[in-house]
Amino acid sequence: MDLVLLLQRIFDALFNSAIYSSLALALVIIFRSTGLLNFAQGEMATFTAYIAFVLLSGPQPRLTGGGLAGLVPGVPLPIPLAIVGAVICGMAGGAMTERALIRPLGRAPDLALVNITIGVLLATNSLMAQWWGTGPRIFPAVFPSGAGQHFSILGARLRYSTVGVWAILLGVLVLLILLLRHTRTGLAFRAVSISPSNAELVGVRVGTTLMYGWALASGFGALAACLSANSVLLEPNMMLRVLVYAFAAATLGGLDSPKGALIGGLIIGLSQTLIPAYVPFIGFELSVLPALLAMIAILLVRPAGLYGTRRIERV
Amino acid sequence: MNTDQRRFKRTPVIGTALIAAGLAVIPFMTSTTGLRQASQIVIGVLAVLGVNVATGYGGMISLGHGVFIGVGAFATGYYVDDLSLPWLAAIALGALTAALSGALVGLPALRIKGIHLALVTLGLAIVFQPLSKRFPKFTGGVSGTGIDALFLAPAWWPGDPRMATAVYRYLFCILVVALALWATWNLVNSRFGRSMRALRDNDTAAAVYGVDLITARVQTFAISAGLAGLCGALQVVLVPFVSQDKFAPQESLVIYATAVIGGLGTIWGSVLGVLARTFVGAAGKAAAGIDGFGFLGEFLDLLDEAAFVFGLGLVLLTFLFPRGLAGIGRRNEVAN
Repeated sequence: MDLVLLLQRIFDALFNSAIYSSLALALVIIFRSTGLLNFAQGEMATFTAYIAFVLLSGPQPRLTGGGLAGLVPGVPLPIPLAIVGAVICGMAGGAMTERALIRPLGRAPDLALVNITIGVLLATNSLMAQWWGTGPRIFPAVFPSGAGQHFSILGARLRYSTVGVWAILLGVLVLLILLLRHTRTGLAFRAVSISPSNAELVGVRVGTTLMYGWALASGFGALAACLSANSVLLEPNMMLRVLVYAFAAATLGGLDSPKGALIGGLIIGLSQTLIPAYVPFIGFELSVLPALLAMIAILLVRPAGLYGTRRIERV
Repeated sequence: MNTDQRRFKRTPVIGTALIAAGLAVIPFMTSTTGLRQASQIVIGVLAVLGVNVATGYGGMISLGHGVFIGVGAFATGYYVDDLSLPWLAAIALGALTAALSGALVGLPALRIKGIHLALVTLGLAIVFQPLSKRFPKFTGGVSGTGIDALFLAPAWWPGDPRMATAVYRYLFCILVVALALWATWNLVNSRFGRSMRALRDNDTAAAVYGVDLITARVQTFAISAGLAGLCGALQVVLVPFVSQDKFAPQESLVIYATAVIGGLGTIWGSVLGVLARTFVGAAGKAAAGIDGFGFLGEFLDLLDEAAFVFGLGLVLLTFLFPRGLAGIGRRNEVAN
C-alpha cells in the first residue's frame, strides 16, 4: 500500500470531515434539547449559502430571488462579511423556526415534528429552485485553494483550505464550550437538555432557551454550507447528501453528544474518501452507501453511538 | 346505529359515487395524452396508500417509498422484457419484488423505531439513485431503460387502436387500484389490521396480547412496499420507459406529504390526498400563468411547484388538522 497516497487521501478527507462535523453538531444541538431530528437542517443551511452568494454578488437581477431583491446591499461584500451575514441570517431563521413552528406544537408526537421538518425541507428546497434555479452556481473559495496553496508533509499535500476550515470549526467549538460552561444562557441550555420540566420548575425559560439552541444549530449549519459551497457547487440539493453523512456522523458519535458529533464527522469523512478508494464497487458516487449502512448498523447494535447517553428501556 | 355513525358511513358512499362518475367521464373528454396523465394520477393512490399502511396503520414512518416504486418499476420492466413474461405475471412479480425489498427494510425496523426509522428511510431514498446507476443491467444506468414489450388492448377491444389502448390501460389501472383499495380496506379491518394498529399504539401491550411483533412489522412493511411497487409496475404499463431520475428523494417526500395531508390511518385519506394534489396542481398551474404583480407574481409561480405547496401544506395541516383532510370535521383525537 502506498503510504504517501494514503496520507494524501486522509488529508483530502479532513476537509469533508470538518463539514460533516459542524452539520452533525447542528443536528446534535437540536436533538439534545428537543429530541427532534431536524431533517430540514440541510436545506436551511443551503438557503443561507444562497444568501451569502447574493451578498457576494451585489444586486444582479438574475441572482436575487423574490423578496430578497430589495434587501441586497448596493456593493458586493467581501467573503468573510458575506459569510458572517449568512450565519446571522441562518441564526435568525433557526430561531424563527423554533418560535413559529416547533414551540406551538408543545408536546406533540414524533410524527408531527417529522411532518414539520419535512414540510420545511420540501418548501425551502423548491423555493430555492424557483428563486435561484436548479443549475449549480460557482461559489468562491473561502481560503486560497489554487495549485501550490498547500503545506507539504511527508510528501503529501495538506491544503490551506483544510487547515482553515478546521481552524474555524475548532475556534467556534471553543466559543461554544465557553458559552455552555460560563454563561447563564449556557447553564440554562444544559439544564433544559437534561430535563425540560425540571428546568422549568427552577425558573429557566425553556422556550427562549430552546430558541437560542435552534439559532446556534442553524448558525453551525450555515457555516457548514458556506464553507463547503465552493467544493460541492452551490445548488438547491447541495446539502441533501451531506445531510446523510452528517446524520451518520451524529448517529455514530451518539445523537446527544457534541463530542461524538466531532469524532463521528471525522470518522465518516475519512471513510467517505478511503472506502471508495480501496473498494472498487463503491465508486465516488455511491460513497453515501457505506455511511447509510454504518448508520443502520449503529442504530441496530448500539443506538447510543460512541459517546451518547444509553437509554434503559423497561419492558 | 346512531346518527353519527350513519353519517360516517354515508360519506364514503357519496364520495365513491362522485369519483366513479368523474372517472367515467374522463375518457370521453380528453386525448390519449390526457388519459395517460389521468391514469398516472389514479395509480398515484397506490404509493400513497403504501405510506398510509406503513405509517398510518403500522406506526412506522417511511420517507422512502419512492424506492419501492422504483424497485417495482425496474423489476416489472426486467420481467416483461428480459424474461419475456406475460404482462400480468410481470406486474404481480414486480409488486412482489418490491414487497420483498420492503420486508428487508422492515427487518431493521424491528429495532429502529420512530424518528430513527424516518432517518433510515430518508437515507434509503437518497441512496437509491446512485445505487440504481450501479446496476445498469436492470436499470439502464444514468439514462434509463426503454421497455420493448407494450401493454396493448386485445384485438376485440373497440375503438381506433391508439385511443383503444389508452382507454384499456386507463380502465386496467382503475381496476387494479380499486382492487388494491378494497383489499387494503379488508386487511386493515381484519385480525391482522387490528394487531397492526395495536403495534402502532403500544407495542409492549400488543406483544402481551399475543401479537408476534417481528412477523407483524415485517409483513406490514412488505405490504406497504408491495403497494408502492404495484404503482411502479403500472407506471411501466403506462409509459414503457424507466429511469432513475424519476426517483429523486423529493418524490418520496412528496408522496409522504400526500399521505399525511390526505389523512393517515384511513383508506379514504390516501384518495383524498391524491385528489388534493391533483386539484392543487391544476390550480397552481393556472396561478403560475398569471403574469405581472411583480413580487407577488413570483409567489404565484411557486404554486406550480408541488413540492412547495405540499411542504407548506404539511406544516399548516399539522397545526390546523392533525388528522389530515380526511379528519376534518371529526373529533380531534390525538394523531398517532
